[in-house]
Amino acid sequence: MDWNVVVESFPLIWKGASITLSLFAWSLAIGTLLGLAVALMKLSPAKPLTWFATGFSWLFRGIPLLILLFYAFFALPEAGVLLSPFWAAVLGLSLWTAAYQAEVIRSGIIAVDHGQAEASDALGMTRGHSMRRIIIPQGIRIMIPPFTSNATTLLKQTSLATLVTVPEMTLLTQRIFSNNFKFIEPIFVLAVIYLAMTTVLVIGQQIAERTFRLKT
Amino acid sequence: MTDALVTVAGLHKSFGDLEVLKGINFEVSRGEVIAIIGPSGSGKTTMLRCVNLLERPTAGRIEVDGRVLCEELPDGSMRFSNKAEIRGIREHVGMVFQRFNLFPHMTALENVIEAPMAVKRLSKTDARARAHELLESVGLGHKADSYPLQLSGGQQQRVAIARALAMDPALMLFDEVTSAVDPELAGEILLVMKRLAQEGMTMLVVTHEMGFAAEVADRVLFIDHGLVVEEGPARQVLAEPRNPRTQAFLRAVLERAPMAEEGEEIPQGQAEQGSDDAAS
Repeated sequence: MDWNVVVESFPLIWKGASITLSLFAWSLAIGTLLGLAVALMKLSPAKPLTWFATGFSWLFRGIPLLILLFYAFFALPEAGVLLSPFWAAVLGLSLWTAAYQAEVIRSGIIAVDHGQAEASDALGMTRGHSMRRIIIPQGIRIMIPPFTSNATTLLKQTSLATLVTVPEMTLLTQRIFSNNFKFIEPIFVLAVIYLAMTTVLVIGQQIAERTFRLKT
Repeated sequence: MTDALVTVAGLHKSFGDLEVLKGINFEVSRGEVIAIIGPSGSGKTTMLRCVNLLERPTAGRIEVDGRVLCEELPDGSMRFSNKAEIRGIREHVGMVFQRFNLFPHMTALENVIEAPMAVKRLSKTDARARAHELLESVGLGHKADSYPLQLSGGQQQRVAIARALAMDPALMLFDEVTSAVDPELAGEILLVMKRLAQEGMTMLVVTHEMGFAAEVADRVLFIDHGLVVEEGPARQVLAEPRNPRTQAFLRAVLERAPMAEEGEEIPQGQAEQGSDDAAS
């Protein structure tokens, strides 16, 4: 074992890790907001919105992420939309994760006892207000575990951005292979860093569950 | 009493093929307390829920406080108030549910101030002051910072009453509000309701508490199979029911649980006598 390679390449890995994290953070933020919008559309009484939302889920859950990334990176420029590799990857990852987050959010909302919406209605609240203040805060408690699952998957899937030339952690680690012909050590470190990152998510889940637990 | 706060005329409601309400008519005057009794499945809860449009009638007209919630057009179709109008009406109609429906992620106080702040645009200071008053009045001043799941059923239901009262409603709807609490805790809820009635609140009370109906209600509506079968002063309907179905129902209720201590007694013989007719 030659850990020197890893130590020497540490700045490179560090840089890659920070790009991995910002890919993840942007995609999670955009994907979750988009997922919320899709979930609300799916629950809306307006048929066209429901159709749109159903189509969205169908499309972006049905196509492999890698192919979405290829579309964002190779096909969009053909249509005149030129994104940097980073933003092309964020676009693909966001759409993909949004489709999953939409289902998580929707199931959280419909799991909240219907009496809560009725009580809000009876008090004269608008639908928007009762969603924001009554339903969603209670739904979040139900959403936390599957949300974390999605987030963990998303974090690992950012490694696919390697294939559209985003210089994130996996790509930069590959560069160490090709410079030094050392595989075992860098790939071990890579796994450990991903594991550390997902561990933070799991801890976050536990904290969130405690925060949103109903006081008894 | 011509000062009708609620007018319900020709109210029909079907769920699919099932016709639950088959033409209900009644009026409620300001300050009147009406107990709505009847067997389960008779449509009494559905009828109550139509009064604030939690259920949409399939036919008929409902007017609350001079505002028409729904009416039948000459072509037979239904015209409903729009969303904003319905919210405007619900602002003045408080509802208390069988299963409380408190917001479990909010304290008692937060439950009470939420709608006044959101709907009536009360300042937080004013809303809190009023909420403390109301919680005090239902005997829960010391529980303002408790969460619903930390309270007993009786306490939760009293918070729910305070929450509805915080909107300063002209009318209160009670939907079997003691059915989901332990019998020994029902009394504390009924006491709050009794005081509310004495203060002049207009109340529509769907209930199985015959003692409460006898003592507090001005009028009783007996509903069976989607129709008002008997209607009259509480004492008369409960003590000397005229309709055989009312007689049979009261007899069944009384056999299970004797009539409440204070207030009215129902002559046992009378009710039993009616049961023969009811069998037909």
